Amino acid sequence: MGSLYSEHRSWLHGVPAAVKLLLFALLGTAQYATHSITVLAVGAVACILLFISLGRAVLPARKLVASVLLASLLILAFHTYMQQAALGWISVLRLHSASLLGIALTLTTRTGDLLDVLERLLSPLQRIGIKTERLALQLAMMLRFTEHFFVVWKRLDEAHRLRTGKAGGLSLLAPLTIQMLTSARRVADTLEMRMGE
Amino acid sequence: MNSSRSLALVSLFAALLAVFGLIPKIDLPLGVPITLQTLGVMLAGCLLGPQRALQAMLLFLVAVALGLPLLSGGRGGLGVFMAPAAGYLIGWPFGALVTGWLMTALPRATPKSAAISAFFASALGGLLVVHSMGVVGLVKIANLSWTQAFFGTLAFVPGDLLKCAVCAMVVHTVARGLPDWNFGGRALK
Repeated sequence: MGSLYSEHRSWLHGVPAAVKLLLFALLGTAQYATHSITVLAVGAVACILLFISLGRAVLPARKLVASVLLASLLILAFHTYMQQAALGWISVLRLHSASLLGIALTLTTRTGDLLDVLERLLSPLQRIGIKTERLALQLAMMLRFTEHFFVVWKRLDEAHRLRTGKAGGLSLLAPLTIQMLTSARRVADTLEMRMGE
Repeated sequence: MNSSRSLALVSLFAALLAVFGLIPKIDLPLGVPITLQTLGVMLAGCLLGPQRALQAMLLFLVAVALGLPLLSGGRGGLGVFMAPAAGYLIGWPFGALVTGWLMTALPRATPKSAAISAFFASALGGLLVVHSMGVVGLVKIANLSWTQAFFGTLAFVPGDLLKCAVCAMVVHTVARGLPDWNFGGRALK
């Protein structure tokens, strides 16, 4: 499964993941410190310019940006209808800035690099016995299980179609769950042999 | 339950949520979509118990935050945690935790009683808790009033009650098909 990371290089690709994460977290939080529409509008324009400056790198996020735009329009329309247009603009400007910053980070940072930052941030938890180094293994297993789910679902659906002539739909959920739980037990046994716990 | 089994089950239910995300969503006003993913929250709570269900939800949300397009409609990245529906997303771990906790506390002596317990546990955890957090998100992010947000979230309740019923049916089948399954970390009794 591919991430939303964009292979089209932009200037933001070269900035280290930890720096981007820190800056975007600070900027995202700062906009909640003000209720001034002017300040928020300036911030939103800056975020839009930053986003545009990424060039073709933003192409994979077209649908995501469109959904943010749609949600913004609905929020604005709703607030205007309730005669709270100013409040609507504040919400929309904050939503736009925060979403564009988050999307820009996702588009220009590899999942592995973000995972490294996350593991470093979580590393103090190891002192209280939480095994944070297993996060990468769990993510890999999650993606592997996602593929496996599809294979099993397709097999069950084909069997259902052969028997009834119709697609299985939600009626396949119970047999799928049982098959996947059984698979998980087998994987757990293998892991136990390998890791010894 | 040993560590390897936890690892596998947590990853499995995070994957289940990802699969539910690939089923097309229906968008409602205010940017909050109807998806099958809340069914995954309910199933995780009922079948894994509180701790592992919580871990599965956190693992899934970490994967989303890292940019994997696992939410319905292929959404992902940090941007989704700033959208009006963010409250619902943040509510998933809490919903799964409460569902799991209730499932361990309610009777599960037979497949039928396990299914009834699953319905109530998922209605309280997967529905009430998740929607409460969703309402907080709508108030804080979309700046709606509490009343507006409350009536806005009511649109999801009929669909989510259906999901509770589906969850109960799955639990019933699992209780019959895997009689040794530990609902919430304890064997059926």
